[in-house]
Amino acid sequence: MQKTAVAGFGCAGYHAVRSMREHGYQGEIDVYTDTQWAPANPMLTTYYICGKLRREATLPFGAIEELSQKYNFHIITTSVQKVLSEEKAVLLQDGKTQYYDQILISTGARAFVPPIPGHESERVFSMRTIEDADRVRKILEGREIKRAVVAGASMVGIKLVELLHARGIHCTLVDMAPYIFPLAAVPCVAAEIERRLTGMGVELAFSKALKAIEEDGQRVVFADGESISCDMVLMCIGTRANTEIADENIKVNRGIVVDKRMRTNMQDIYCAGDCSEGCNLQTGDNQIIGIWDNAARQGETAGANMAGVVKEYEGNMLHNITHFMGMDFIGFGDVKSEGEEFLYENKEKGEAFVIRVKDNKPVCMNFLDSYGASGVLKAYMINKFGGAGRQMDSVSKVRLLNEGIPEKLINFLESNSQEEDVWEK
Amino acid sequence: MGKVIELNADKCSACGACAVACMDQNDLDVTEGASAFRIVRDLEGADGGYEYYSIACFHCEDAPCISACPCNCLKKDEEIGFTVYDNENCIGCHSCAMACPYGAPCYGKDGKMIKCGGCAVRVKNGLEPACVANCPTGALRCVDRTECEEL
Ligand SMILES: Cc1cc2nc3c(=O)[nH]c(=O)nc-3n(C[C@H](O)[C@H](O)[C@H](O)COP(=O)(O)OP(=O)(O)OC[C@H]3O[C@@H](n4cnc5c(N)ncnc54)[C@H](O)[C@@H]3O)c2cc1C
Ligand code: SF4
Ligand code: SF4
Ligand code: SF4
Repeated sequence: MQKTAVAGFGCAGYHAVRSMREHGYQGEIDVYTDTQWAPANPMLTTYYICGKLRREATLPFGAIEELSQKYNFHIITTSVQKVLSEEKAVLLQDGKTQYYDQILISTGARAFVPPIPGHESERVFSMRTIEDADRVRKILEGREIKRAVVAGASMVGIKLVELLHARGIHCTLVDMAPYIFPLAAVPCVAAEIERRLTGMGVELAFSKALKAIEEDGQRVVFADGESISCDMVLMCIGTRANTEIADENIKVNRGIVVDKRMRTNMQDIYCAGDCSEGCNLQTGDNQIIGIWDNAARQGETAGANMAGVVKEYEGNMLHNITHFMGMDFIGFGDVKSEGEEFLYENKEKGEAFVIRVKDNKPVCMNFLDSYGASGVLKAYMINKFGGAGRQMDSVSKVRLLNEGIPEKLINFLESNSQEEDVWEK
Repeated sequence: MGKVIELNADKCSACGACAVACMDQNDLDVTEGASAFRIVRDLEGADGGYEYYSIACFHCEDAPCISACPCNCLKKDEEIGFTVYDNENCIGCHSCAMACPYGAPCYGKDGKMIKCGGCAVRVKNGLEPACVANCPTGALRCVDRTECEEL
């Protein structure tokens, strides 16, 4: 009988196994996981800490035991050390080797904590796993925390600020970048978010490099010599793809490089999710797009192909959504790309929408508190990047009008005309 | 397979009866901040004439809202193929709205997602969805996906 190994059982691993079975795969499936708490959603950790979700709800597809019955796979609770791509084998922690017909690498990513002095203190935290969440929960329940430093003005950082701020803890949000959400927000939208955060009493310390954590996690020291005292430090500087299990034959950049069918350069070795570099439709380059939906679609695609059904996933563009402290921020496309920027504001509703255009194509969009039009415009941008060049259909137009997107802008998107007066700058 | 609610825009007069029936069926109090599942609106055509639309969830075959939800709130109804949901664990993140090419997901005043579920219970009992049953012009129909040319 055919045998498949799946290394790592998060969003991508789950969808791959589901998809294999749904596409008729009859062989055996061994799922290797380094945690029993799988397949978990890392972004639900903060909701669990604040009590909005039960612990079990951080497993959106249910517990692994139930899933193993439903999709008929073996659970092997051990970490994979290496994927030996030529032999099509996995090397395990105990030194044993298991052989397969095909292997999926779906090991995801981990929180990256820079190795600055003091980072090992018990008062320093990061956020990805349920264990990380339990640690934060414990300190919040056990000790009196008055001040916290959150390092990393990212989507993860802001969720932690939200959580701590709601408990009355004074937060300082720190980043090397000069403004919030540097990988997704355009400066004017970032400025508005910062204005609101400051108004709520969140302190911001941007353009600052962390140098050390002193006094057992109770003082953060910056490269410029300044320092802040605090009771805990949360590190949300970034993530790193878990690619170490790929052997030297498998092509790895920041992530493991895959094609549209989620195949690596080595035969019968597949990869999906946060550990993989699929296609960024906007640039045409391979890039990690570390978001839940992308992991799901890549996993689904890998599963179909591993079941022998040819299925392609074109790729995605960079996009982010975060809902925090009464605000909604959405960013599409590459915020670093140049272009002319246009702002549309509905002051009455407090909505703002920014679009950056280059060569008559939108390269980047930001939405503040106006998610209603985001779905239509995301589909539109992906279509444009994908080269489909499809016209905007009537239904999309009806939706955009209903969400208060000005007609002039819709006409622009539809025609790609060069009308200059379309925009209210 | 599966059913969809199809609009024939040529027949629609934007009277809004479907939207009212929908709010009634789903107990949507839009004055209290809930958004309406079905929107009805006119659209000026290229030739200056008007077209009328009544739109809600399209119950896409490969529905992008489903995989986008971090809490697995959405799924396909196995019997009739509508995109249905259980919002118990919904965190109100709006990821589904961002994933839907038609902007169909709505939110209740508690911030949780609500949407057109195709009146699945009515349909399973041999009835039409409320919007379809109340359309005076026959513009809306609930049909098998295979019968529906437009999507
Ligand atoms: C705090 C936080 C907030 C986020 N917010 C958002 C958001 O708002 N929207 C969004 O779209 N995305 C968000 N993300 C990202 C999203 O969670 C990821 O994109 C998604 O979980 C990726 O799924 P995955 O299956 O690729 O990887 P993971 O979820 O990382 O799963 C990988 C699994 O493999 C296991 N594993 C790793 N190495 C091994 C090994 N050697 N052997 C065996 N098992 C192994 C891991 O333990 C894990 O269970 C957030 C992430 C975090 C941490
Ligand atoms: S909510 Fe949107 S994506 Fe989901 S089935 Fe309905 S129309 Fe399709
Ligand atoms: S708003 Fe609710 S239903 Fe929509 S994606 Fe978020 S959790 Fe899922
Ligand atoms: S009830 Fe029928 S005619 Fe009236 S708006 Fe709805 S679809 Fe159009």
